[in-house]
Amino acid sequence: MVDVSTEIKNVMSAVFEVPVEQITEDSSADTIDAWDSLKHLNLILALEEEFDISIPDEEVGNLFNYKLIELIVNECRK
Amino acid sequence: MDNLKYSEILQLNRAMFKDIQGKPYHVKVLSNITVNSIKELLEYTLHVNKINPIVKLGNYDNIVQDSANCNDDDLVIIFYNLQNVIDGMSSYFEGVNDELYISIKEKICNEIDIVFENLKSLPVVVFNMFSAVEFVNSYFHQSKIELLVSDLNRYLNLIKPLHVHLINTEKIISQVGVNHAMDLRLNYSSKAPYTLTFLKKYLGAIEPIILRNTGKLKKAIIFDCDNTLWKGILGEDGVDKIDMSGTSHDGKIYNYIQQIAVFLSKRGVLIGLCSKNNEHDVSDVLMNHPDMVLTNNFIAIKKVNWNDKASNLKLISSELNIGLDSIIFVDDSSFEINLIKEQLPEIITLQVPTAIYEYPNKLLQFVYKYFNLYGNQADENKTEMYKQQFVRESFKDKFVSIEDYLSSLSISLTIHKDKLSFVPRIAQLTQKTNQFNLTTKRYTENQIVQFVQSEDDFVFSISVEDKFGDSGLTGLCIIRKNLQNSKEVTIDTFLMSCRIIGRNIEFAFIDYIFDWLIDQNFETVTAEFFQTKKNDQVKNFYEELGFYVENDNTESKHYTIQLKDYERKKVEYIEVVIKMNEQN
Repeated sequence: MVDVSTEIKNVMSAVFEVPVEQITEDSSADTIDAWDSLKHLNLILALEEEFDISIPDEEVGNLFNYKLIELIVNECRK
Repeated sequence: MDNLKYSEILQLNRAMFKDIQGKPYHVKVLSNITVNSIKELLEYTLHVNKINPIVKLGNYDNIVQDSANCNDDDLVIIFYNLQNVIDGMSSYFEGVNDELYISIKEKICNEIDIVFENLKSLPVVVFNMFSAVEFVNSYFHQSKIELLVSDLNRYLNLIKPLHVHLINTEKIISQVGVNHAMDLRLNYSSKAPYTLTFLKKYLGAIEPIILRNTGKLKKAIIFDCDNTLWKGILGEDGVDKIDMSGTSHDGKIYNYIQQIAVFLSKRGVLIGLCSKNNEHDVSDVLMNHPDMVLTNNFIAIKKVNWNDKASNLKLISSELNIGLDSIIFVDDSSFEINLIKEQLPEIITLQVPTAIYEYPNKLLQFVYKYFNLYGNQADENKTEMYKQQFVRESFKDKFVSIEDYLSSLSISLTIHKDKLSFVPRIAQLTQKTNQFNLTTKRYTENQIVQFVQSEDDFVFSISVEDKFGDSGLTGLCIIRKNLQNSKEVTIDTFLMSCRIIGRNIEFAFIDYIFDWLIDQNFETVTAEFFQTKKNDQVKNFYEELGFYVENDNTESKHYTIQLKDYERKKVEYIEVVIKMNEQN
């Protein structure tokens, strides 16, 4: 059973097309070149599908770094 | 694709770029909504069918304009969503009066005409039919939006050229259910109404069209016999106990399968048998069994023997003179299916499902995907001639050129200067606009306030309105005086939201600004272009305006122009409203 942190990084790696080793706790829209508003939508969709969650509208615009993503994903999984 | 997660598809797709080479297949997706999530899904669909994809997305809400630049494409897909039309209105659509209704309908029909005219030389175009099922409607009264959809779809069916395929969008939505197909939340925030579930289903729906147009259709289906065409094992149960009767509980599924095979055979699909049995026994069944539907006259080839099926299928391929990749193989045995998957991976395999009631639908899904069941050339020619006649008559009063179409929109531009209350929106524009942005300078609200308050800087912002609505503040130009030369200014920032691209608004805007600069006794304007990954489309914007290129490195260009030499673009159909001396 893969842990949440690894799964999130795998999803981000797939969406932004960067090797998974380059995704760290400090990764954010500023450190990842490909992370624009359109890819951000893809990220939301991918995370929701992966964890079978629904991210509230007000949070969607906040998920611009790894730490917040991990936080929200864990919140939504409860 | 339905069984794969989106992130898995993205990874698989990425890997396939190295493996699938060959002649590129160019696809463009035009839309008036955000459907960019479809890009990788579409690439994956093409990759899986061994096609080398080059997929581009058109500009947001630029269907008509983008359709003029598709001449090198192999396939154009168009998403025209009415949500966008509704959103632009100032009153609830159900209350629309007749005049406005007709006006909206005509506008959309005109756009369709122009798009089809622009795309007339393409091999294939996919246009999604309009849908209303995602709006809240009564179940016993036709709503205005449903009426509009019905009128527009009727129009599409009437005038569509042969190479345009209309997709029944409502059918796809109903297959997954409205709540699973539509994402109200992302529609609200980003105009992205479709879920991944919908998009995956959508690609499954258009896959046959792609296969048909890339020579990837199949030519033959080869069936095993025992527990594939009848229930039971001939060699063990005997000819009396195998069951393919149309009336028995067990047999009727297999009877139906045979009916499908006969139907295909009559449409030119090669049907064959590949079975481990005594040849004589199977021949007996084919000729004498009272319930056999798939009889000899529908069968193109038989390999009934005790050799391995891989060898048999290879023989079938060579004797029918078709490629292994033109064959679909149907068998109930995991052993045989896996053997073929390993030995002859070009062959598409279908294993008879354990839940036998799923068998006919599974087979039909393959059939609809891999074979062209429709397209009787003679009938289509007749229909085509009739349609062309109709189009010729009705086209006379319609807009053919983009200029005419843009004129009909009654576009009006309101220009504001140094307006403090717009600062938040202006700052946001500098932070979010990527494509139509010459220098991509990102500013905070404080920095914009400084520009607005400074006497040496001028902040021009524009909002755009047309017959159907107001786009809000969507364009910006920041001009700065050259402190060493009082007659010279520089364009620090020039950008437009993608919402207003493609309507020549940039030219009306520059015309106005330059007139104002001349009025203020300036003589020279300098400007710059900084290349980014996203702003390629404005690479030559200043050249188009007549600027002189002083300096050209790979990543930036520096320009200058004497205002007396500037030739106005004069966009006749854009009305310009000036609001310069407003309260801030």
